[in-house]
Amino acid sequence: MIEIEHLTKRYGADIVVDDVSFTVEEGEIAVVVGTSGAGKSTLLRMINRLVVPNAGRVLIDGQDTATVPEDELRHRIGYVIQGYGLFPHRDVAHNIATVPRLLGWDRKRIANRVEELLDLFQLDPGEFAQKFPHQLSGGQQQRVGVARALAAKPALLLMDEPFGSLDPVIRGKAQDDLLAIQRRLGTTIVLVTHDMNEAFHLGDRIAVMDQARLLQYATPAALLAHPAEAFVEQLVGTAERPFRLLSLVTVQEAMEQGNAEGEPLPLSASLRDALSQLIWRGREALPVADASGALVGRISIDAILRRGRSLA
Amino acid sequence: MPTLRPTLHLDRLGAVIAVLIGVALFAAPFVTYRANRIVAGEGRLLTDALPPAGVTGVLIVVLGVTLCAALARKLLVRLGAAALGLCVIFPAVGWSAGFVTPSGNTFARVSPSVGFWLLALAFALLAADALTRLHFGPWARLAALAAAAGALALLLLSGAWNDLSLMKEYANRADSFWREARQHLWLAFGSMAAACLVGLPLGMVAHRIGRLRAAILQGLNIVQTIPSIALFGILIAPLGYLAAHVPLAAALGIRGIGAAPAFIALFLYSLLPIVANTVAGLSQVPAAVTDAARGMGMSARQRLLQVEWPLALPVVLAGIRIVLVQNLGLATVAALIGGGGFGTFVFQGIGQTAIDLVLLGAIPTVALSFAAAVILDAVIDLTQRGAHDRD
Repeated sequence: MIEIEHLTKRYGADIVVDDVSFTVEEGEIAVVVGTSGAGKSTLLRMINRLVVPNAGRVLIDGQDTATVPEDELRHRIGYVIQGYGLFPHRDVAHNIATVPRLLGWDRKRIANRVEELLDLFQLDPGEFAQKFPHQLSGGQQQRVGVARALAAKPALLLMDEPFGSLDPVIRGKAQDDLLAIQRRLGTTIVLVTHDMNEAFHLGDRIAVMDQARLLQYATPAALLAHPAEAFVEQLVGTAERPFRLLSLVTVQEAMEQGNAEGEPLPLSASLRDALSQLIWRGREALPVADASGALVGRISIDAILRRGRSLA
Repeated sequence: MPTLRPTLHLDRLGAVIAVLIGVALFAAPFVTYRANRIVAGEGRLLTDALPPAGVTGVLIVVLGVTLCAALARKLLVRLGAAALGLCVIFPAVGWSAGFVTPSGNTFARVSPSVGFWLLALAFALLAADALTRLHFGPWARLAALAAAAGALALLLLSGAWNDLSLMKEYANRADSFWREARQHLWLAFGSMAAACLVGLPLGMVAHRIGRLRAAILQGLNIVQTIPSIALFGILIAPLGYLAAHVPLAAALGIRGIGAAPAFIALFLYSLLPIVANTVAGLSQVPAAVTDAARGMGMSARQRLLQVEWPLALPVVLAGIRIVLVQNLGLATVAALIGGGGFGTFVFQGIGQTAIDLVLLGAIPTVALSFAAAVILDAVIDLTQRGAHDRD
C-alpha cells in the first residue's frame, strides 16, 4: 500500500505539486492524469525520491521512504519512463539484469530471471537476449523497458508515460499486455499519462491533476458519475461520457441467453467495443464466446443501450 | 531486356592513375644523382636508372598495374596490384642507387626523384581507394597496417636501400636518430598522457558544472589559437625564472628552453581536444538513459563507470586521436627550442640545404602520425561495437 501524504514541491516561487494526498491499495493501478505541466511527473518522481519533496511524505507499506537510503529504495521500486532509457551499449539480457546485478544476485539466478521475464513478455530468449536496443522495434523496446523494471520483483512499479512513444496500433496491445501481466503478478502500479482513454482503460483509480493540485481521486465510474470540478468534467469529456462508461463494463455483464448470427465476441470485451462491432457489422446482436471459444450467449444493441441508460 | 555483353569499363580514378604513371615513367626523373650531398643534382629517367633487364622488369610490372587500375573492377585485384607495384618500385629505387653510383665513390648521393614519388603516389592512391571501398573491419585494417609496417621493416633491414642518400644520412646518424626518435615519442605520448590525466577530469567537471564549461572551453580555445613558436617563446620566461629560483625545478631538468617548454606547450595544445570531446561525449548520453539509471538506483559512481563513461568513450577516443596525430606532428617544432625529436633533422637539413636529411626527420613523423590515426580509428570502431553496429 502506497500512502502519499501532503506532498508539496516548490522550485523557487513556483509550486509544482501542491499538497497532494492519496492512497494506492496493494495490487491496484492508480493512474495520474492531467494536462502537461500539471505536476504529474514531479509527483511520480517524489515517490522514488528522484525529486525530494519540500513537504509531505510517502509511506510504502507503512514505512516512510525518507528513512530508506535512496539507492536502496529505488532498487525496490520499478521505474519505466517514456523512451525507456534502455542502455544502448548493453544487450537485452544485460539491460534486464541491471537491478539484480546491483543487488548482487548470483549469475544463475540472474540468467533464470532474465529468461523468465523474456518469456513473460513474449520475447524469445534465443532470439532477443543478445540483441541490442537499436535492433528492436518500438514495441519490443517498451517490453524490455518494463521487463527491466520488474527484474528484481518490485512490489511497486512507477510508469511515466510508458506508452507515449508507441504508435496507436501497438499502444492498445501494449496496454492489454501490461494489464494481463499486472493481474498475474499483482504488482501495484502508479502510472502517469495525459491520455484520458489510457487512464480509463488501465486505472483502478484515477487521480486528476491540474496546476499542481489534485482535483479528484476516484474510480473511473465515480469520476464519470460525479466529477468534482468543472475541469474534471471537461477532461473526462461530457460528450464522451456514455462511451467511457460503456468501456468500463464487460460484455459478460450485459449478456443475454440465446444465439445470434456472426463471428462471436469474447466475454471480456467492453460494451463499447461490442457496440462498435454491432454498428460496423450491421447487426442487432452477436454471439458471445468464452475464453475457450465455446458459445455462451448473445449481446444485443438493445441490451447495451439499456445498460448504458442505467449507468447514466 | 538488357543484353549481357562483356564490355570494357574504364575506371575514372584508374585513368587519372594511368596518366600519373605515364608522366612518372617517361617524363620525370626516377632518381636524382648528385656528386656530393649538397650540390644540385641531375635527374635520371627510369630507362637510365637501372640495368636493361631491371628496366624491362619494372616497366612490365608498372604497366600491368596500370592496366589493372584502368580496367579491373574487383577491389581485391586492384588492392593486390597496388601492393605489387609498391613492392617492386621500393626495392627498385634502392637497386637504382647502387647502379647509378660510380663504384667506390662515397661522396655521391642518389635519392628518389619526382618519377619515383609519382609512382608511389599513384599506387598509394590505388591502394587507398580500394581499401576505402572494401570497408574493412577494424581488425583487417590493423592487419593491413601491420603488413605494411612489416614490409617496410624488411626493406630497410635487408639493406636494399643502403645505397640511397636517405639511408646514408641515417647511417651517419644512427645513434642520434634513435635518441631523437625516443625523444619525439616521449614528447608526443608523454604530453598526451599528461593531458589525459588533467583533461578527462576537467572535462567531467565542465560537463557537470554548466557555468565552468564555457570558461574552461574558451580558455583552452585561446591557448589553441597561439602559434606554436609563440607559445614556446611565451613559456621561456616563466620556466627560465622557475629554473633559476627553484632548485627542485632545475634538478628535474626544467629550463627556459629544451624539452620542458616543448612538453608543456604540447600538453596545453592537447587539453582542448580532450576536454571538449569529454564534454561532448558525456553530454550526448541520452537524458532518458541517465534518468533510468538513477531511477533504478545506480549510485553516481555506478552511473559514471557503467553508463556515462562507456557511452562517451568513442567520442573521447576521437579527441585522443586528434591529440596524438597533432602532437606527433607538432613535436617536430620542439627542435627549434632545443627540445629534440625528429625536428632536429628537419631543421639541420634545412640549414644545410640537405633535403635528404629533412626527409630523415619528416618521413618517420608522417609514418607515425599515419599509423597512430589508423590504430586509433580501429580502436574507436571496436569500442562502438554493439551500440552502433547494424545487422
